[in-house]
Amino acid sequence: MNMIEVNSLVKQYDRAKEPAVKGIDFSVNEGEFFAFLGPNGAGKTTTISILTTTLSKTKGEVKIAGFDVETQAKNVRENVGIIFQQPSLDPQLSAEENIRFHACLYGMCSYRPTFKMMPATYRKRVMDLAEIVGIQDSLFKPIKKLSGGMQRKLEIIRSLIHTPSVLFLDEPTQGLDAVSRRSLWEYIDTVRKQYGTTVFLTTHYIDEAEKVDKVCIINHGKIAISGSPQEMKNNLLKQQLVLDSDDRDGLITELSDMGLFHKTENHIIVPYQEIAAQDVIAKLKTRLSVLSIEEPTLEDAYIEYLKIGGEVA
Amino acid sequence: MSELVLTARKKSGLAREINAVITIMARDITLFFKSPMTIIMSLTMPIVMMGMLGGSLSQNMAGGLGFDYKQFMLIGMLVNMLFMTTTMGMSSLVEDHTTDFTQEMMISPVSRYGIIIGKILGSSFGAIIGMFGTVIVGLCMGISISISQLLLIIALSPLMCLSAGSLATIIIGVIKSNKTANIAVSLITMPQMFLSGAIIPIGNSHGILYVISRMMPMTYCLDLVRSVVYAGTPQYNSVVLFNPVIDLIVIIALTVVCLVIGTFFFARSEKNR
Repeated sequence: MNMIEVNSLVKQYDRAKEPAVKGIDFSVNEGEFFAFLGPNGAGKTTTISILTTTLSKTKGEVKIAGFDVETQAKNVRENVGIIFQQPSLDPQLSAEENIRFHACLYGMCSYRPTFKMMPATYRKRVMDLAEIVGIQDSLFKPIKKLSGGMQRKLEIIRSLIHTPSVLFLDEPTQGLDAVSRRSLWEYIDTVRKQYGTTVFLTTHYIDEAEKVDKVCIINHGKIAISGSPQEMKNNLLKQQLVLDSDDRDGLITELSDMGLFHKTENHIIVPYQEIAAQDVIAKLKTRLSVLSIEEPTLEDAYIEYLKIGGEVA
Repeated sequence: MSELVLTARKKSGLAREINAVITIMARDITLFFKSPMTIIMSLTMPIVMMGMLGGSLSQNMAGGLGFDYKQFMLIGMLVNMLFMTTTMGMSSLVEDHTTDFTQEMMISPVSRYGIIIGKILGSSFGAIIGMFGTVIVGLCMGISISISQLLLIIALSPLMCLSAGSLATIIIGVIKSNKTANIAVSLITMPQMFLSGAIIPIGNSHGILYVISRMMPMTYCLDLVRSVVYAGTPQYNSVVLFNPVIDLIVIIALTVVCLVIGTFFFARSEKNR
C-alpha cells in the first residue's frame, strides 16, 4: 500500500513569478524509509508542508495513508507525526507537559492537570519512550533547561506518542552534535522496526540518507531523479579502482592495452561499471603496490548531480 | 499498536474536540500560574482601572446623572476587565507563533475553531481573576453588589470572554510580532472602553461615535449585564439602552461572525507562514 501518494502536485505562491513546485509525482510504500533531498529553495519545505496539511496546494492530488490532504485533512493529521526544522516546543512548559498536551490534542486520553492524574497507560508509554531516548531524568524539567539534543529527542517522543503511520522528519538533526545525531538515528531505526512506521526525511546531511530505501532529489520545483541510493550512485557515478605500482609506466601501458579508461592523480584511478573489479585485477601482470576499491557515497552522487546541472530526468 | 491509541478511537468526534478545547485552555491556565508577573498584573489591574481611574471619574463626573454612577462604573469596569484581559491573553497567539508552537496545534487533528475557542477560554481565566479583583476593589470603595447579581454576572462572563476573544482573533490572529500585538491590544480595548459605555454613559452619543458604539460587541455585553443588574430598579430606563433579548441576539451574532472571520484569518496566516 502507498502511504504517501503525490500526483502532479503544483504550488504557486501569491505574487511569485513561477511555481515553487511544478507538477511533481512520487509515492512512498508502507514501512519505507524515504529521503527527499534537494538544494536550498528547491521546493522541499513547500512539499513537506503540503503533505502535512500546513500549506494548501494549488493543483494536483496528495494522499497520506489513503486520505486526501485537503478534503480529509483531519484523518491525515491523525496518521502523521512531524518533527519540524525548528523546535516547536512550548518553552514555558515542562518536557512531560509538552508530551501530555500533544497526547490530549490527539485524543489519546482526557486532559488531567498533573502527570500523576493521567491514565496509567499514558504514564507507562511516556516513561518507556523517555527511557529509550534517555531523557527520563529530564522529563519534569522546563524545556528551557534542556539542551538542543534533549529537546530534539523530546520532539521525537512527542511525535511518536500517538503511534503515527507516517513520520515526517524535516531536517531533524539540524544543530545537533555527532553523538546526539547518532543516538537519534538509532532510535528512529528502533521505531521503524517496532512499529513499521513509514519515514519521510528531508536533510542537508546527505550521509543520513545512505540507509534509506528510496531517495528523491527535487530541484527547481521538479523531481530530478529518484531511486534507491545504490541505483543513484550507479546512475551518476562509477566505482573506481585505485592502483599503483613501482613500475607505474608498465601499469599504465597494461591498462591502455586492456582498453580501460584511467587517470593519474596521486595514484592511478580506473573507473569501472560494467566489468567487475576482480576481472581487471586478475588480468594485470604488473606487480601492484597500491590496490583499493572506492565506493562512491550518496553525497558524491548528489554533488555530481548538482554539478551536471540537474538535467538528469 | 499501543493501548492508548485503541482507547482514543473509542471517543466520538465531539468528545475529542471538547477534550482538545479543554487541553488548549488548560495550557493557558498552566502558563498563567507559571508566570508570577501575569498573576501580579492580573491583581494590580483592578486597582489601577477600578481604584484609580474609576475612583477619579466617580469623584469628578458623578453629578446630575440620575443614577448611582459608582455602581454604573463598577459594572462597566467588570465587563471592561473581561474584554481587556481576554484580548491581552489572546495576544499570546503571537508568542506561540514566534516559538512555532502554533504549528504543533495546527498539525493536530483538531478543528481550527476548537483551537481558537480553547485559546479564548484559556485567556478568559486571567480575565475572570481580574473580574473578582475588580469586585473586591469596588467593595473597598463602598460600592455594593448583591451575591445574586454577582452570580448572574459570573454566569454571563464566558459569553463576554468569547465575544472579546473572537473580536481579538480577527486582528491578533494575523499579527506576527509582539510589538504590533501590543499596539493591536490597545487599539481593540481603548476605543471600546470609552465608546461602549463602560465608564462614560453613551445615551446621548450621535454621529460617527454613535455608529461606532453600535458596532462594538462590548456595548451589547455591557448593556446585557446592566439589564440584569438593574432589572426592577427605577434607574433601569436611564441606564439600559436595549431589550436584553436584542443584546443577547446581537452578542451571539457578532461573536459567531467574528469567530468565523478571525479563525479564517488565523488559519490562513498560519498556512502562509
